[in-house]
Amino acid sequence: MAQSTPVRRTPKKERDPKRIIAPLVVLAVLYIGLEIFLRVFNVAAYVMPTPTHIIQATISSFHIILPDFLFTLKIICVGFCIAIPAGILLAALFSQFDILVKAMQPVVIWLVITPMITLIPLMTLWLGTDPNLRVIIVIIQATPIICLNTLNGFTHVEREKLELARSVGASKLQTFVSIIFMNALPQVFTGIKLGCIFSTIGAVSADFVSRGQGLGDRIIKFTKYSNFEESYGCIILIALIGITLYTVVEMIEKRIVLWKK
Amino acid sequence: MQEAKIKFDHVTKIFETRSQTITAVKDYSMEIQAGEFISILGPSGCGKSTLIRMLDGIIDTTEGDILIDGVKVNHKGKKMPSSVLRKLGFIFQQPNMLPWYTVRQNVALPLRVFGLKGPEWDNRVEELLEMVGLKEYADAHPNEISGGMLQRAGVIRAMVHDPEILLMDEPFGALDEMTREQMNMELLEIWEKTGKTIIFITHNIEEAVLLSSRVYVMGTNPGRLVETVTLDLPRPRKLSMITQKDFIEYRQLLESYIGEIDLSKIK
Repeated sequence: MAQSTPVRRTPKKERDPKRIIAPLVVLAVLYIGLEIFLRVFNVAAYVMPTPTHIIQATISSFHIILPDFLFTLKIICVGFCIAIPAGILLAALFSQFDILVKAMQPVVIWLVITPMITLIPLMTLWLGTDPNLRVIIVIIQATPIICLNTLNGFTHVEREKLELARSVGASKLQTFVSIIFMNALPQVFTGIKLGCIFSTIGAVSADFVSRGQGLGDRIIKFTKYSNFEESYGCIILIALIGITLYTVVEMIEKRIVLWKK
Repeated sequence: MQEAKIKFDHVTKIFETRSQTITAVKDYSMEIQAGEFISILGPSGCGKSTLIRMLDGIIDTTEGDILIDGVKVNHKGKKMPSSVLRKLGFIFQQPNMLPWYTVRQNVALPLRVFGLKGPEWDNRVEELLEMVGLKEYADAHPNEISGGMLQRAGVIRAMVHDPEILLMDEPFGALDEMTREQMNMELLEIWEKTGKTIIFITHNIEEAVLLSSRVYVMGTNPGRLVETVTLDLPRPRKLSMITQKDFIEYRQLLESYIGEIDLSKIK
C-alpha cells in the first residue's frame, strides 16, 4: 500500500514560496509606507503612532502586558476548545430530528446575531465577578456559529449518497459517521474558523465590560493614560491570537479535508 | 416451471406531497428468471427508477409484493434485511462515489457494511480493480480520476459483495457516446462471464435492444407497464448488430410504443 500513484500527492502548493513571501512583502510595504506617511505628515501619536514606536513601546512595557495577554489567551483558548465540541454535538443532536432542525435553526441564528456582551452585566449578577467566568461569554458567543454551520452541513446531503447507504443496509450510526458527518466536514471547519473570530471578539468585549484583567482592559488603561503606542500593541497582540488560532485550524483542515481541490 | 428470481406482483407506489398525490408506479407486475438480462425502457417520469429503488429497499412500496427467490422482501416501514440486500448490487446514474474515501475504500464500502472481512474479500477488491483497469488509481480520491473511471468504480462497487442481481439505473447515461458504447460491451462481457441477473434501466432504445433479452416498456401518468417485448437476437451481442435488419425492426417497434406514450401524454 506504500506505493503511491502518479495522480496523488499535490502538496506542492503548500511549499510554494510565493504563498509565504507575497504576504510578507505586503506587510513590509504597509509597514514602510505607514512609517513614511506618518512621519512626513507629522500625524499626532494619539491618532496613529508610527509602527516602529508601537513595537518599541510594546516591548518595553511587555512585562505589564504579559499577565493580561496570558489571561486573555487562556480565556479564548479554553472557551474556543469547549465551543467546538459543544457546537458540533448540538448540531448532531438537532439533525437527528427534522422537527428539531426546523425549531432550532431560527433560535440558533438569533443567538448568533445577539451580541453576547450584552449579557455580561446580568451574568455578573448571576455568577459573581470571577474573571474566569468570561470563558462562558466566549462559549456562548462561539458555539452558535459553529452549531449553525455544522447543522447546515448535516442537513444538506445529496439524496443519492443516502440512497447508497440504504442500498447496502447501513445502520443509522454508520450512515452518520461515514456519510453525513464526512459530508459536512468542510462546513464544520468553516464554522470552527468563524468560531475563532467570535471567540476573540467575545473575550475582548468581556474585558471591556467587566474590567480588571485581560487585554481589553489593558487597552482601556493604556489609552486613558495616553500610552497610545501600547494600546495599538495590545490590539496587534489580540489580532495575533486570532490569526494563530485561525491558521492552526486551517492547517488541520488541509490535513483532513483532502478531497476539496 | 422454474421459480422466478425476481417477481413484482401488482406493485403500486404513490408519493404524497402536501399539494398533490403522484402515482409513480401503478399495478406493475413482472417476472424475471435467474441469469436474465432485461431492460426497463421509458421516458423520464415513468417510474422506472422508482421501480428498482423499491426492489433495493431504498423506498417503500405502497401496495403489492416484491419477491426474490420466492420470498417476499418488501415490508413497509422496515429496513430490508442484510441477507436480502446482499443479493443485490445497485449502480447509480452518477458514479456516486464518496469523495472523502479513496477509490479502493469506495469499492470496498459494501463489504464494510455487510461485515465481510478476510483475505478472500480483500483479494476480490483487488481483482475487480484490476478487471476494470483501476488498479493504479486505487489510492486516488474520486476527484482525481475521470468520469468513465468513476463509473467503472461504481459498477464494481455494486459487484464487490458478489450479489446475484445487479440493478442499474441508467448507469452510463452521464457518459459520452463512445465511452458508453465501450462500457455497454464490457457490461455484456461481465454478464456472460458471471451469469448474474441484471435489470437495466434506460431511456435509450438502441441500448435496450443491444443489451437485453427482454424489454419492458413503461408509460407515464401514471407510471405503468405498457408492453413487453422479447428480443430474439443472437448472443453474444456485438456493436455491429445495430445495422442488421431484425435489430432495426425491434428498434422501430419499440420506437412506435414510446411514440404512442408521448401522444397519450399530449391528450
